[in-house]
This record gives sequence, C-alpha cells and structure tokens, in this order.
Amino acid sequence: MNGITDAAVFESFPGVAIDHDNIEHYRGILQRRLLVNRCADCGTWHEPARSRCPACWSTRVEPTKISGRGVIALFTVLHHGPPATGIDYQEGHPVAAVELAEQPGLRFTATIVDCKRETLRIGLPVELTWIERVGVPVPAFRPAEPRNA
Amino acid sequence: MTLPIKDRVAIAGLGSTPFSRDAGRAAGAMVLDACVGAVRDAGLTASDIDGLCGSNVVPARYVQGALGIPECTWHANLTIPFQHQIIESMNAIHAGMCSTVLAYHGVYRASGTSRAASADPFRARYGAGPNVLFQTPDTFEGAVGHSPWARRYLDKYGVGREVFGKVAINNRSNAVLNERAAMRQPLTMEDYLSARLVREPLTLYDMDLPVDGADAFIITSAERARDLPHRPVLIHAAALGQNDRPFSAQMLDVDCTGQQIAIRQLWRHSDVRLGDVDVFFPYDGFSIITVRWFETAGYCDDGEANAFFDAHWETSTDRILIDGRVAVNTHGGSMSEGATQGSGHFREAAAQLRGEAGVRQVPNAKHALVTPGGFFFNAGAVMLRTE
Repeated sequence: MNGITDAAVFESFPGVAIDHDNIEHYRGILQRRLLVNRCADCGTWHEPARSRCPACWSTRVEPTKISGRGVIALFTVLHHGPPATGIDYQEGHPVAAVELAEQPGLRFTATIVDCKRETLRIGLPVELTWIERVGVPVPAFRPAEPRNA
Repeated sequence: MTLPIKDRVAIAGLGSTPFSRDAGRAAGAMVLDACVGAVRDAGLTASDIDGLCGSNVVPARYVQGALGIPECTWHANLTIPFQHQIIESMNAIHAGMCSTVLAYHGVYRASGTSRAASADPFRARYGAGPNVLFQTPDTFEGAVGHSPWARRYLDKYGVGREVFGKVAINNRSNAVLNERAAMRQPLTMEDYLSARLVREPLTLYDMDLPVDGADAFIITSAERARDLPHRPVLIHAAALGQNDRPFSAQMLDVDCTGQQIAIRQLWRHSDVRLGDVDVFFPYDGFSIITVRWFETAGYCDDGEANAFFDAHWETSTDRILIDGRVAVNTHGGSMSEGATQGSGHFREAAAQLRGEAGVRQVPNAKHALVTPGGFFFNAGAVMLRTE
C-alpha cells in the first residue's frame, strides 16, 4: 500500500505500539502526510486511531489528511524523557496538544519548533511542519504568526 | 440512595513494611511481611483466608503458595491505584464469593524509574517496571500526562506554582512525623520554588517518590469484623469514575475528568457528608491531582485551592488543617511517605479511624474520605467510617 511496506513502517518506528488500527498513520508520516481517522458515515474525527467511530460506531473510519492548522490547547516543556536525536532536555523539549482546526476537542500531540520560549502559550495559533530524527520524518508544529510578532 | 452494600464490609487488619529508596529486599518478601502482619493483626491464621487480591507486581498465586493459604474461592490481580483492590474485595465478599480477603500491594523501585535504580543488578534483573519511559519524546501518555494539565490549571485560574508547593509541603510536614516515611526532612516554599523543573511546570517535589515497601489489609464482613480484635473500619460508600476521553491530550478541560464522575457517585451513596469528614486522603501522584481533588470534593470552587490552602493553613505545623481540625494525607502521601499508588492512603485512613495513628492521630476521627487516582482513567472515591 502506497509503496511503503508494513515491514518498513515497523523498522522506522522501533518501540512504537503499531497495530492494524494505526499503521496507516505511521505509513503517512513516512510520506510526510499527517493522517487522522475520520468517519466516512458521520464525518466525526477521532484520535488516537481506533477501529470504530466513537460517535456512531461505524467501522468505516478512514485515515484522512488534515489541514495542519490548529491552536495549542496544552503544552509542557520536558527536561527529562527518552533519549532522542536532536533533543536537548537541559534546554527543554516542548510538547503540545494542538487542537486541530477540523473539530473542537480533536487534538494531536507533537513537538513545537521555531518558537521562542516566551512565545509558547496556550491559545497560540500553529501550523504543521516536518522535522527529521535519524532520517525519519516527525510531525511538528510551528507558530502560524510571523515568528517575532 | 442507600445501597445494600453500605457499611456491610470492613477493613479488619493492617500490615505494612517501612518505605525506603532501597530496602535491599525482593518485592515478594516485602509483600509477605505486610501480609503476615495484617493476618496476625486481625487475629487470624492462613486457613481463615479464602480470598486474595493483589496486582501483577506480586500475583495472588505467589502469596497463596508462599504463605500456605490452603484454599481460596476468589482471587484477583488488579490494576492500580489501590481503590480497585479495596472495592473489588468488598464486592466479592458482599456477593458471597468468599468471606475474608487478604488484599495487598507491593512497590519496588524498578530499573526503569531512574539511572540509579538500573545500576542495581537486582533491579536490572527485575525489569524496567511500569514506569519505563515511552519511546517517543512527543507524547502526553505515561508519566508526562498531568504536567500539561498543571500548566493549563495555572493559566486558566491565574495562580502561581505556590499552589502545588503547598501540597508538597503539607505532605512533607506530615511525613516528618511518620517513621515509615522515606522522606522526613522538612520542605520549605523556597526549596520548592528553587527546585529543578522536570516536566514544566512540575518539579521533582510535585511527583510521587518511587520506593520499596508493601501494605496489606484484611477485608471481611462487618459482622465478622466485630468479632475480631480491632475496631472495624467500615466501607461506607465507594465509587469509580471515567469518561469517554480517557487520554491526557484529548481530555476537554480540568473540570471534565473521572474525578467529577467518581465524587458525584460517592455523594449519591454516602450518608456521611463532606462536613462530617475528619481526615482527608486525596491522591498525590502529582500535585495537580491533589489540588483538583480539593476542588472536586467540594472543599472550594474550581481554581480556589490556593486561597483555600492559605485560609486553612496551620502555621505551627506548616500544613493544611481544614477548619482547624481536618488533617490531609497525615502519613505524608505518595510524595513523602512513598509511592504506594493509594495503599498508603487507605492504610493510614484505617489507622486513623482505629485511633492508632500515634503522634499523627486526628482526635476522635470517625470518618475518612479517600480519593485515589488522577484525571484520565483511574479516579475513585471511598468513604470509610467507624461505628
């Protein structure tokens, strides 16, 4: 499917709990496409990916590309966490739950880049961007406003 | 509404080890110490036990084999926090599955909790344990989960980190009086505010402390408990709470948690009201959880905990004393006695109601409210009382 085998997805995300319900999400990441499950019957989005729509119980859920626009609903700055290339926990690793433009309460968790510490706040409009760790694409968000506004 | 199970099941025996950063003992050995203590405390023997309730840290079959408990007609290895063990034991006894349960919880500082722990060959061989870090650094799952909510709480209500510091100081001031506690050095607000941030806005002082140790309880019918040596501690009402967004990143707001669901159900079933409570045991796996339990239980409005702590602070002992009489987490909680995922809260609540809390005793304590668990999937509320 999409030219990227299951084996390649598993190999790219060691230690991640990949299963039949979320593998398309990770396959999408390798293609720099952020996919979130949406119900083909009632249109409700849900996250994390599961086999049924939580609103209508339809099994016709489809990994769907999102616009990438949103607002920071929650964030923390981590000074402790699993070692990862390019992350300096002493400096602080920001992680945010971004409320996506697609639906109230629909949030995707990712790091924030190109953002000064004093700019980071709940309510900050952000947009999707992509970074890499050891050659694997990682979805991230950056401020949607001009950087120093 | 009165439930038929109200006051029908009781805690009739208590046993515990001390709690420390390094007991130099196996998890199973500590559980056995606590279990033997609880059975003897209740004046029973192995053959009186027909139910076992623990967790997968030390499963029921280990305890049954190690203590030669001849026959059990009910056993369960449950998840934590410990309200699950208390509530399911209560249900099993009331349903007639068994008559007397030995419920226990062992904690062991697994190799996944820190570099120091992983350097101990016994801990390394034991395994990483449940606190091992998630492989991705970009998640709110696992231990990160409450930190962004602490940030949101401070922003939403416009209060400073001192609100969390007051929780940590209260617990430490109480732990100073508890010889079982792992952390007994007094803590000041200056210490708190200057501590290194671990997961902003939370510091090490905002988190429970991984320790070695164990608690055990004898749970039986109230009728049977009245024939045993100690004053029965009755389970008056109990509830659990969970909603349809049981993930940190998806939860709608600080007032849309399992805590609200658990406490509403508790107040539906409890004849004991908040004003009757003599000693309060809010969970403190993270300080934000404790803050929200005060507000959710009804001691103050949402966002008012900081002002409430100030208004109910006993300066001479440097701790919370609600209305000058209701002490909070008198054992020091999971932050300062040690992280027992709620078993310490229940053990101290029972000791208080038996009048056996020593220098920490709340005078004439008859009603204890225990509220274990956090926001996302593990909240509970239990009202204990004596006759």
